[in-house]
Amino acid sequence: MRLFGVLFRLAWRNLWRNHRRTIIMLGAIGVGVWAMIFMTALTRGMVDQMIIDSIAVLPGHVQMHHPDFPDDPSVSNRMLISEADLKKKFDGAGFKAWAGRVRVPAVISSERESRGVTLLGVDPDAERGISFFNYDEVDGRFLVDASDQGIVIGRRLAETLETGIGKRVVLMSQDPDNEIADRGFRVIGLYSANTKAVEEAYAFVGKATVQKMLHIGDTTTEVVFLSDDYRNVEATFQAVMSATDESVSVRRWYEIDTYLGTMLGVMDGFVLIWIVVIFLALSFGLVNTLVMAVFERVREIGLMLALGMKPGSILGQIIIESMLLLTLGLAAGNFLAWATIVPLQDGIDISVVADGLEMWGVSSMLYPKLYASDMFLATGVVLLLGFLASLSPAWRASRYVPVEAITKV
Amino acid sequence: MNIVFRLAWRNLWRHPRRTWLTTGAMVFSNILLVFMISLQFGMYGLMIDNALQVFTGHVQVQASGYNEDKKMRQTVPDIIPLANSIRTTLNSETVAARGWAFALASSEDRSFGIGIYGVEPEFEAQVSNIPGLVSDGRYLETDNAAEIVVGSVLARNLHVKVGDELTLLGSGLDGSFAAAVVNIVGIFDSGVNDIDRNIAEIPLRLFQETFFMEGGGHQIVVVGDGLEAVPAIRSTVQSMLPDDSDLVVLDWDEIQPGLKQAIQADMSSSFFMYLVLVILVSFSVLNTQLMSVLERTREFGIVMALGLRPGRLGRLVLLETAMMGLIGAILGAAAGGLLTSWFTSHGLAFPGMDEMAARFNLPARMYPEVNVLTLSAGPAVVFVFTMLAAIYPALRLRWQNPVDAMRVA
Amino acid sequence: MSAVRCVDLCKTYRQGDQDIKALDHVSIDIAKGQFVCLSAPSGGGKTTLLNAIGGLDIPDSGEVYIAGERIDNLNKGELADIRLKQIGFVFQAYNLIPVLSARENVEFVMQVQGVPSAERIKKSTAILKEVGLEGLEDRRPAEMSGGQQQRVAVARAVASRPALVLADEPTANLDSKTADELMALFTELNEHHNTTFVIATHDQRVMTYAGRLIRMLDGRIVDDINQRAA
Ligand SMILES: Nc1ncnc2c1ncn2[C@@H]1O[C@H](COP(=O)(O)OP(=O)(O)OP(=O)(O)O)[C@@H](O)[C@H]1O
Ligand SMILES: [Mg+2]
Repeated sequence: MRLFGVLFRLAWRNLWRNHRRTIIMLGAIGVGVWAMIFMTALTRGMVDQMIIDSIAVLPGHVQMHHPDFPDDPSVSNRMLISEADLKKKFDGAGFKAWAGRVRVPAVISSERESRGVTLLGVDPDAERGISFFNYDEVDGRFLVDASDQGIVIGRRLAETLETGIGKRVVLMSQDPDNEIADRGFRVIGLYSANTKAVEEAYAFVGKATVQKMLHIGDTTTEVVFLSDDYRNVEATFQAVMSATDESVSVRRWYEIDTYLGTMLGVMDGFVLIWIVVIFLALSFGLVNTLVMAVFERVREIGLMLALGMKPGSILGQIIIESMLLLTLGLAAGNFLAWATIVPLQDGIDISVVADGLEMWGVSSMLYPKLYASDMFLATGVVLLLGFLASLSPAWRASRYVPVEAITKV
Repeated sequence: MNIVFRLAWRNLWRHPRRTWLTTGAMVFSNILLVFMISLQFGMYGLMIDNALQVFTGHVQVQASGYNEDKKMRQTVPDIIPLANSIRTTLNSETVAARGWAFALASSEDRSFGIGIYGVEPEFEAQVSNIPGLVSDGRYLETDNAAEIVVGSVLARNLHVKVGDELTLLGSGLDGSFAAAVVNIVGIFDSGVNDIDRNIAEIPLRLFQETFFMEGGGHQIVVVGDGLEAVPAIRSTVQSMLPDDSDLVVLDWDEIQPGLKQAIQADMSSSFFMYLVLVILVSFSVLNTQLMSVLERTREFGIVMALGLRPGRLGRLVLLETAMMGLIGAILGAAAGGLLTSWFTSHGLAFPGMDEMAARFNLPARMYPEVNVLTLSAGPAVVFVFTMLAAIYPALRLRWQNPVDAMRVA
Repeated sequence: MSAVRCVDLCKTYRQGDQDIKALDHVSIDIAKGQFVCLSAPSGGGKTTLLNAIGGLDIPDSGEVYIAGERIDNLNKGELADIRLKQIGFVFQAYNLIPVLSARENVEFVMQVQGVPSAERIKKSTAILKEVGLEGLEDRRPAEMSGGQQQRVAVARAVASRPALVLADEPTANLDSKTADELMALFTELNEHHNTTFVIATHDQRVMTYAGRLIRMLDGRIVDDINQRAA
């Protein structure tokens, strides 16, 4: 330990011997680490938003269906569990939120146009906190209860159908006997969403109203559950699994939308690759600096060896120097990242390319997300790889033959 | 060889390891840049081709406003004769007329709202890849036969197979009730979920009869020889339209603005990453050149004392940097080109690409595109930044006065 | 037991097409507590011999024993340990670690040995005073004259009280007064602590302090006089 003190002091002083070189290297490491974390925060923000948006309109975190429903989304594949039974099972079972829905494909027609939509029969009270849009931002009003007679559609769909609040539309779907079931609704509200596609895709009506229209009593086609964090839905999944039997299939969001699930994995991979690539770009400079530092110090290294310092200590000294350099650079980079990301957390408007982002499934506001885990990851990777990169120059330094080194001019 | 060149060259190799490490940073970045840029261009090319070859084509004739609203009544009147005359004028077969309507498609036990294209069976294959993607049965053959081809997911959802009957219900151009009974002759499988689930095609004449189109349709698609031909085709077609008509000629970018923006969004995030890489290389160069100037302070001092102008020494440093930069650029471009060419012939896949492919109509393997531009863009930028980084070390020489310089041991 | 024993040491350097015998069958036996001066014209092989004794250089043939232990066949780590624990060095040129102050340079060996800090400070203060560097403890080598640096090197060599001190031209940069003081210090250590000294020098005055004077020429011992006895 005492030896470490000596080595540390030597390393620290040597680091500042050529302060210009050290400062340039610190600049490079700082910028590199900043870029690692900044880019990662943007990516995380983008993917988070994409997943949160999609989970909100699509699966919730965990979903329960009739086993055949995913492949054949028809009311005939609904779950034959009554409202009361669902309540008994899931109320007070510790879910952040849960809601039964009737989700069926339907055709919506105004006097002028018809379009296909996904009809969602919902209970507004249960949906609060699950649905993707803020009810209070709906033009007009949202459904008041499950037996509300009105319909809420997306702004974009309303334009296409040339309809609006107060106008009537007709919904057409199938009942369990495959008979066409239709019913007129008055448009009571228009919602906005992050993407046009979503604004065209969903129509909300009262759950009880749809159940009546489709003659399905009080059964539903899906039940969605919310947990605290989309990254950790296992507890919720297990809770639902244990409360149900084989007559239903329970799936996590990433099993329902495999694209999103894969994206999450791909992005994790991308983040790591990015960090490593930046490090590699930095490593040339780092190794170069160490090689130079060792080269300039051949004689004193020889002297220390001659005085009886073990080669291992010389190796350690160079590695400590390298680690010090990296640590300072990391501190600067992390700080810089924090200082640049925090002011941006309210969102970066990138709507110039909104249509294009929509194609990638990304909304036009980007909210960078600074995770401590990403900062640790970048720091850890840099220290680990930096250690490996320093080994070669440090090893060379420790292999000097003292007499030759000391007499070298 | 000129004495200055020889001097610069020798100086460069005073510390071979240092020079190679600095060059190595350039080569590393250049390889990455060449590879990534080639990959991007390859991907963008494929993205555009893939997206356009499904339905969009290169140029379309539509009623003005149709592209945004897709309303039934925004028609191109007498569409078949107009398509014929465009074909004659352009002397090209790659022109096809289409109609599009929303309808409820019902099989024996399921109904779904879908988009129905009315197509010219004879010409559709010239502008779209859907006819070639029929995996079961055959594509449409006769102009007004009561036949339909449907997407694979739709066929599954409807519980139908080739040979079954479908009933189409919708509303005609005049708003009246429109219906047809058609035979499924083929099922196509594009691999893109949205298309396979939502689209069916029937012959254009049948479409016109069913939806009371009075000879009208919604779009004439023209495909040219590559994207370069688009402006020419566009102006030719434009000149064929009567002055007073409500028709417009749109190119692919106007029809699908998301495509270019998606590319732009992707490009800007890539550019950020490239910039970071290039800056890190610049730091490396700055460090090396500053070291090389500082360690020669004494030597420079002597030469200056002998009467050499600092400016000439500065140029010497720049010349050394340029040599190093050129080595980096040439090796980087060569190695990057080789690596990329390998992938150009073997293709490249990474996890998540299958899901991306199904979502964005991308191929499941990517083939980078190597050309002069993709080979030289990255190395050229790196070279420029390298030279910029050498400015400070070169200028430092100017500030030095000979006596001070010589005093430094 | 002898402090240093060399048996038939040979070391040949190839210079172009010519072989230079830096050590040519050198055998010496130095008893513990002897004060030996090694004198030879420049290029005579002094440094080479000291390096061989200190385990810094491996001779082509022959054997080296330090305090009875054979060292020419040890590995680097073992050699480092021997140097650290038993030998104090003063090199002919380049002696100090530039980033450390005078005191830290003196303490360096003790620190690596693991001597506790209080004891180190006591010893380094005392020894620096003895070599006349009181007040200069915190200067870095670059801030001292050649002679002052030389004295720091000497202080470091003896501070940890090694059994054997190998000094290569320790008085090269010193005026005669300082040189005398230094030799007085060496003599005192030699007498009170029984430290063995081997000093390479051309300085006539230094030789007068020596109990034993070994003269070399072209890598061979040509003369070995025990002055005390005489
Ligand atoms: N590394 C080497 N390579 C080649 N020849 C060497 C080397 N080291 C020493 N020599 C030669 O070996 C001989 C003995 O050298 P040594 O350094 O031992 O002399 P010295 O007695 O210490 O001389 P000085 O008083 O000048 O220090 C000299 O002729 C020298 O040129
Ligand atoms: Mg010598």
